Amino acid sequence: MTANDLVEVWRRDEALDRVGGDENLLEELCQIFLSSYPGVMEKLREAVMVGNSLGVQQAAHSLKGELSYLSAMQATNIARSMEDMGRAGDLSCAVSSLNALEQSLALLRLALDKSTGVH
Amino acid sequence: MLFEKPSLTDTVLVADDDPIFRHVLQSCLEKWNYRVVAVENGAEAWKILEQPDAPHLAILDWMMPGLDGLELCRKLRHRKEGAYRYVVLVTAKDNIQDIVAGLEAGADDYLTKPFDVDELRARVRAGSRILQLQDALLQAHEKLQFEAAHDGLTGIWNRRAILDLLKKEVERHHRNGEPLGIVMADVDHFKRINDTYGHPAGDTVLLEVVARIIKSMRRYDFVGRYGGEEFLAVVPGCDAADLMASAERIRASIAMHAIDTDAGQLSITLSLGVVSMQANSIFDYESVLHAADAALYRAKANGRNRVEVATSLFAARAGSA
Repeated sequence: MTANDLVEVWRRDEALDRVGGDENLLEELCQIFLSSYPGVMEKLREAVMVGNSLGVQQAAHSLKGELSYLSAMQATNIARSMEDMGRAGDLSCAVSSLNALEQSLALLRLALDKSTGVH
Repeated sequence: MLFEKPSLTDTVLVADDDPIFRHVLQSCLEKWNYRVVAVENGAEAWKILEQPDAPHLAILDWMMPGLDGLELCRKLRHRKEGAYRYVVLVTAKDNIQDIVAGLEAGADDYLTKPFDVDELRARVRAGSRILQLQDALLQAHEKLQFEAAHDGLTGIWNRRAILDLLKKEVERHHRNGEPLGIVMADVDHFKRINDTYGHPAGDTVLLEVVARIIKSMRRYDFVGRYGGEEFLAVVPGCDAADLMASAERIRASIAMHAIDTDAGQLSITLSLGVVSMQANSIFDYESVLHAADAALYRAKANGRNRVEVATSLFAARAGSA
């Protein structure tokens, strides 16, 4: 268990605050994220597998942006470190980070589903 | 039934390859009564920005595939023509050098992701203020330009402008050989009218005379105030017979109907001097003015309330080539 595991999966209040308290908007953003992140993760996985540093950097950057906007702190931190890996061209720890990211996103998904009342 | 127009003040271009940010921006901006055009990449953003009717406000993501926000700024600022576009660059970069780079590339302001919607609103408002200021300046500039070329009382071309137009039409006449007509008109006994009935009545007379002259002319003729009570009309592409008919029509419209003023109904007449330049004439604009003036003088001398045609033009020497 790493220090990051203790970081919150989702700071909902912070995200709500960021969108000016607009519950509808927050829900819409969650929906958009839930439908778009699988595609970005696919790109990230592929980039890690073939050792494409630039691809890792770009996909991780994209995820980081969205995750930080939603205040998904845990996943944001991992995405940020993967972006740095890609930029530095050092993908030695990429696979383990990718796994951690997958787990964090699974937890996030649960939290988002609960919040948006997805059945 | 009252129909309330939405108060759409500005249109904003949003360019971001990320669906979440596109949505946040579009949703918030529309809530604040902006009209939003949202695109996914820099190439599409540029296609819109290079149009003359592009939105004046743009929110551009820095990191986009292909043409990124920074490059868009540079291209936009490189293009000198067109109204100013206010650009807010949205960046995940949060160190000073990158922000400086953004501003140097031409961004007016920046927002760091993840941004707060209140901050977004404040920055967009600041942009709107600047653009409104630009609009006010442009309008004031246009007003000044209009006033510089038009007569304050009647709104027709002022002396400098109508002479300029005459010069241009004379040059065009020499180039393409089409006939050109000039009518110089002068209100008879105007000083007496001003002295007897007062300047307000005099102004009313001038306004009505101008209105009737314009009514007797075609939409593409030029009418200017040449002097206090003197008017100059430049009539392109009109043959001698039609020109005479127009001048006569003007004379009649003034003479046959009295003009209503605050000093009562006044009987007004006009004297007119007419010059008709046919194809292949080689006379310059000064000779033309001189000939119109001479014809006008003859109209006065021959009893006023009449039209005289310049004949001396054909005997005049050609001006400097």
